[in-house]
Amino acid sequence: MEEYAREPCPWRIVDDCGGAFTMGAIGGGIFQAVKGFRNSPSGMNHRMRGSLTAIRTRAPQLGGSFAVWGGLFSMIDCGLVKVRGKEDPWNSITSGAMTGAILAARNGPVAMVGSAAMGGILLALIEGAGILLTRFASSQFPTGPQFAEEPAPMPASSFGDYRQYQ
Amino acid sequence: MDKESSGSSNPDSRRAGGLGLFGSSAGPQYSKTELAGVPLTGMSPLSPYLNVDPRYLIQDTDEFILPTGANKTRGRFELAFFTIGGCCITGAVSGAVNGLRMGLSETRNMAWSKPRNVQILNMVTRQGATWANTLGSLALLYSAFGVIIEKARGAEDDLNTIAAGTLTGVLYKSPGGLRGAARGGLVGLTLSGLYALYSNWHHLKGSSSTRY
Repeated sequence: MEEYAREPCPWRIVDDCGGAFTMGAIGGGIFQAVKGFRNSPSGMNHRMRGSLTAIRTRAPQLGGSFAVWGGLFSMIDCGLVKVRGKEDPWNSITSGAMTGAILAARNGPVAMVGSAAMGGILLALIEGAGILLTRFASSQFPTGPQFAEEPAPMPASSFGDYRQYQ
Repeated sequence: MDKESSGSSNPDSRRAGGLGLFGSSAGPQYSKTELAGVPLTGMSPLSPYLNVDPRYLIQDTDEFILPTGANKTRGRFELAFFTIGGCCITGAVSGAVNGLRMGLSETRNMAWSKPRNVQILNMVTRQGATWANTLGSLALLYSAFGVIIEKARGAEDDLNTIAAGTLTGVLYKSPGGLRGAARGGLVGLTLSGLYALYSNWHHLKGSSSTRY
């Protein structure tokens, strides 16, 4: 598989926003298709029309919410990268928590804390899964040369000899 | 004696070059007509090192080494997320500006108070969200069609762009019946045609840029 190349930080925000919108819109589209199908009067014509209407109205909204989440997350992530000067999973977890907090700001401090916890735990799960996957994928390849063996069997005479040539 | 046997041109040109560089007459004087007839074999008056064959100076476009399996340019799928995200953000910004304009004009008669601010804020967020969703879903449809058409044709050029734009317009306006779909298709055709024209302007004009 080709290596996964992410954009540098300012453009990463636009990329993540687009990716989140796509996920939300397509997932929401499928979900709303089923829901609209079921919540329509009986008769295939009605059901198809209800399904299409639900997709047209609800899927972009879900895509939009995902896009806001993704864009805000990526913005905070890039900000943390610039401030801390390194990229590691802690950035993502903190960004997830802060995004959850900001998006629940209208509902008061208690809701913010709860939303932050949810966001942080979600991102921790995602990052943990990513790390496990990387370890699993790399363990499939043969390991490099082992340096732990061979500490001693160097003949002492060769080291003694060189003093003569000083 | 060695100098003369190796060729009479070299010492002459060297001395001529020296005279030319330093100006003052430090050696035997040669008239300009004598100097003009001296062939400069592989040497320029400035430096003996400027004798590179110009054929070696041409820059090739294949100057990047690509890893296995990588294309030279980004395909539609890699550009898709950037397009969709860009359209979302553009839609959000323009929707917010539009919402600000509408909110200010609708609450013109109110004093500056909390209800007025809340109303303006609501207009801004609602318009921003609506425009972002609309533009984002248009971009999603366009990118999806572009990828499908490219995979189906197996080739990539501006025809894909125009076809994807037209199909997006048709699909987006299809709830308006056949007439709505046709109008949407026409708008899509126009916009994507303009974009294709814009991105190929230099090529179409037949620019005479030198390849260096």
